[in-house]
Amino acid sequence: MGVKRFHFEGQEITAPEGKSLAAALTEAGVRAFRDTAKEAERGIFCGMGVCQDCLVTVNGAPNTRACMTRVEEGFEVERQVALPAFGALDQQETSDPLHLSPDVLVIGGGAGGLSAAAAAAEAGASVVLLDERKVAGGQYYKQAADHTILDQQQADGAKLVAQARASGADLISGVELWGAFDGLVFLGHRDGQPVIVKPKTAIVATGAYERPVTVPGWTLPGVMTTGAAQTLWRSYQTLPGKRIAVCGSGPLNVQVALELAKGGAEIVFIAERAPAAISKPFNALAMALADPKLTIQGLRMLADLRKRGIKVHNATELTEIAQERDGLAATFVGRVGRKQTVQIDALCMNAGFEPQNEILRLLGARMHYDPAMGHLRCDKSKVMETCVPGLYAIGDCTGLGGAPAARLEGEIAGSHAASACGYASESDLETKQSGLTKHRAFQKNLWTLYDIAPADTTALPSDTVICRCEELTLGDVRAGLATKPGHVGTLKRATRVGMGRWQGRYCGPVAARIVSQATDQAIDDLSFFAPRVPIKPVPISAILAAEEAMAAEDSDVTEVADAAQ
Amino acid sequence: MPPSDILVIGGGVTGTVAAIRLAEQGARVTVLDAATNAGSDANAGSLHVQMQSRFMRLYPDQVPNVEAALPFYKQAADTWVEMDGELGGVELVRKGGLMLAESEEQLAFLQKKAERETAQGLSVDILQRTELERFAPWLGPQIVGAEICHDEGKLNPLIANQRLRQLAEASGVARRKVFVDALDEGSNGVTAHTSDGSFHADQVLLAAAWGSADLTAPFGITVPSAAEPLHMNITEPSTIAISHLVQHAERSITLKQFGTGQIVIGGGWAASDQGRGVPPKVRAESMLGNVALAAKLAPAIGGLRVIRTWAGMNTTTDGASIIGRLPKTDRVVMALPGDAGYTLGPLVGRLAADIALGRVPNIDIERFSPSRFADLV
Repeated sequence: MGVKRFHFEGQEITAPEGKSLAAALTEAGVRAFRDTAKEAERGIFCGMGVCQDCLVTVNGAPNTRACMTRVEEGFEVERQVALPAFGALDQQETSDPLHLSPDVLVIGGGAGGLSAAAAAAEAGASVVLLDERKVAGGQYYKQAADHTILDQQQADGAKLVAQARASGADLISGVELWGAFDGLVFLGHRDGQPVIVKPKTAIVATGAYERPVTVPGWTLPGVMTTGAAQTLWRSYQTLPGKRIAVCGSGPLNVQVALELAKGGAEIVFIAERAPAAISKPFNALAMALADPKLTIQGLRMLADLRKRGIKVHNATELTEIAQERDGLAATFVGRVGRKQTVQIDALCMNAGFEPQNEILRLLGARMHYDPAMGHLRCDKSKVMETCVPGLYAIGDCTGLGGAPAARLEGEIAGSHAASACGYASESDLETKQSGLTKHRAFQKNLWTLYDIAPADTTALPSDTVICRCEELTLGDVRAGLATKPGHVGTLKRATRVGMGRWQGRYCGPVAARIVSQATDQAIDDLSFFAPRVPIKPVPISAILAAEEAMAAEDSDVTEVADAAQ
Repeated sequence: MPPSDILVIGGGVTGTVAAIRLAEQGARVTVLDAATNAGSDANAGSLHVQMQSRFMRLYPDQVPNVEAALPFYKQAADTWVEMDGELGGVELVRKGGLMLAESEEQLAFLQKKAERETAQGLSVDILQRTELERFAPWLGPQIVGAEICHDEGKLNPLIANQRLRQLAEASGVARRKVFVDALDEGSNGVTAHTSDGSFHADQVLLAAAWGSADLTAPFGITVPSAAEPLHMNITEPSTIAISHLVQHAERSITLKQFGTGQIVIGGGWAASDQGRGVPPKVRAESMLGNVALAAKLAPAIGGLRVIRTWAGMNTTTDGASIIGRLPKTDRVVMALPGDAGYTLGPLVGRLAADIALGRVPNIDIERFSPSRFADLV
């Protein structure tokens, strides 16, 4: 592995080949990547290309996501300003379009997507898997950029990636899909190359992103999702800081705290919103019975943390984060109202998950609200087909279910999509269904031990930022309610909540709940912002390239038709 | 709810401005609005004045009508300037609108158009490439010239809608979120039958855009109002470089930069209707065609990212506004801009309010009378 040299604000930084810009900057001690319109600083937050907060200018190209960009030799990187100069924007080079029309298109290269691709290809169908990231594996199996294997989870992931490759499925990394249209037409781009996919069937396996802990100070550089910290460590062997606190709810927090501790970080505080599992012995037992192996794994992690002298503070919540000269001060409140402030370099937060269901909602897949998880679930048949013909949905993008369930759902959807294209395979649907039932029982009981119901915003100070892009506070959003919204769309137009480049991914669910509370209406699919293209911000030059590619394709078709006559 | 003197049906820009004027004159006003798919909510804030050359080519027989109405468009844009002051600023910028020509033939067409518009009192000029260069260096090399209409401009409809709602509320206008199913006339007034009960008043001011046709049918007249779902695109922000509203001599496009620095691209590209209560869907071919055209006209925007699209309902009629009392009843006053709804909305709303108040409007609006559709029944 070579070493790449680049500059950030004139300072020379070196990083091993394959490292993300976000990881390289973090390792060099850089926390603030950009300045907002209201002169706030921002850095890495989601670590997976969703949040659009780690923007930097690379070789003059503004608003480049540092977490999705690999360091290259000679990069000139600058802090991103709020308003880049008009026309100074780099016109992306475009290359010849990639036209694909497989039997089965799989979107997402995580546990579910890889399993689906393998199952469909093994049945004989032509399969294309598109993954946004540079390295396949998804968020659960998070593969290292340099292919280091840290533990069993990464080893399992590597095995699954190898299986998908061996199946004959075409795995294409680094493709960002920005359009999903009726008739199953998908538009995307890969480093300026237009990607146009017209598959017979499509399996959406886009996973989930993390729900943050929304408190004053959650936008400060150094505050990131637990998954972002995990990506820094597992993919790039970079620690988000020396002194770290972790908060929110759920097993990922404990797992990542342990991983970071093993990596050499000092875990100063773990706050878990739920009371200790011992307070719900029946659920704990039911969970253990449903999946003894996973339960033991979880218990081992807790024991390992204890051995290292790291305590999990149950029934404890983050209330505030303040910027200090040499880092952050995070304040937690425990069960008896006891306040505790810790000095840290980085704060990791995960308070549940939001499904990445944009593609499904765009294509009209029916959803229902799951109040326990606080998010939408996609309605699907036993074979994972949505109400849209030819469109399948698997894994966490259809509502949280965990990686083992996503794998089974992927296998089922993959073989069914293949069979719908005329490639029947011997798939034991019943065994897989019963496996799914077991995993779902495990998940159901697991989450009763945690507290990932969306936090009530009523108690939050009104100056808490809700919409990170538009920099709107809870007070701003509440003021918008004065125009008698009745709908989140009205609130959006009144306040601009959700109008920024994050496209409402974090503030949308909060806004939907605020409106639901104010209007006393139950939440359903229509309670959320209307699904809209582009799925992710897309350069105009990429749209132009796609338009030209589509027009050329249409004229080819006409020529063929003419020739036939 | 106390009885109203006037029910305003449709709470978009036209209905809200009408309601404010009525309330200011002492009427008890209730706005009935379904709060879904309102054209004003989806509008992108262009102030249109000059003739659309594409329309002229497609419908040459309607050109005399449009031409005769040009002073009305100019007056409508003036009305917005007044309102900008009254509403405390809605980011209105009136630096003019460019209509770009990509060939000498297109420019010659614009030259003739400009002469006709000048005759109607519009302030227009033909600019050669070198003159454009001074303030629009971002134009593509193929642009040979443009017509500039100094009466055109842009505003921020998000702010304008919000301020109008607040002003209506402050003026004592009541607002109810209901869908009006039908109107019927009795001996002592009009009743609006809605999704949530009936509302009664002396008069109705019908500003229900594309929903108006169904509601006028019982009065022996069918106004040809139709929904036209369209979509818009908006980019991430950059420093401000485009101060004009930009259009094309032949093709459908509007391009402008908001005060936020974001570039808004639209101009009448079709979206797909999804039925009542659900916003229309953006079509692949429209998004590709619309944005690609913008990229060709202004290559400097190529590096900017589109971050969002939205779609909403435009309303078409026979190309002209419909303002005035229905021929068979004194109790229903029409207020339909018909074309360029957001530009014409405030003026149409004020005129219709004046008619409902029994006043003679200060401009001749005979040509906009709904009686022109009475023959069609």
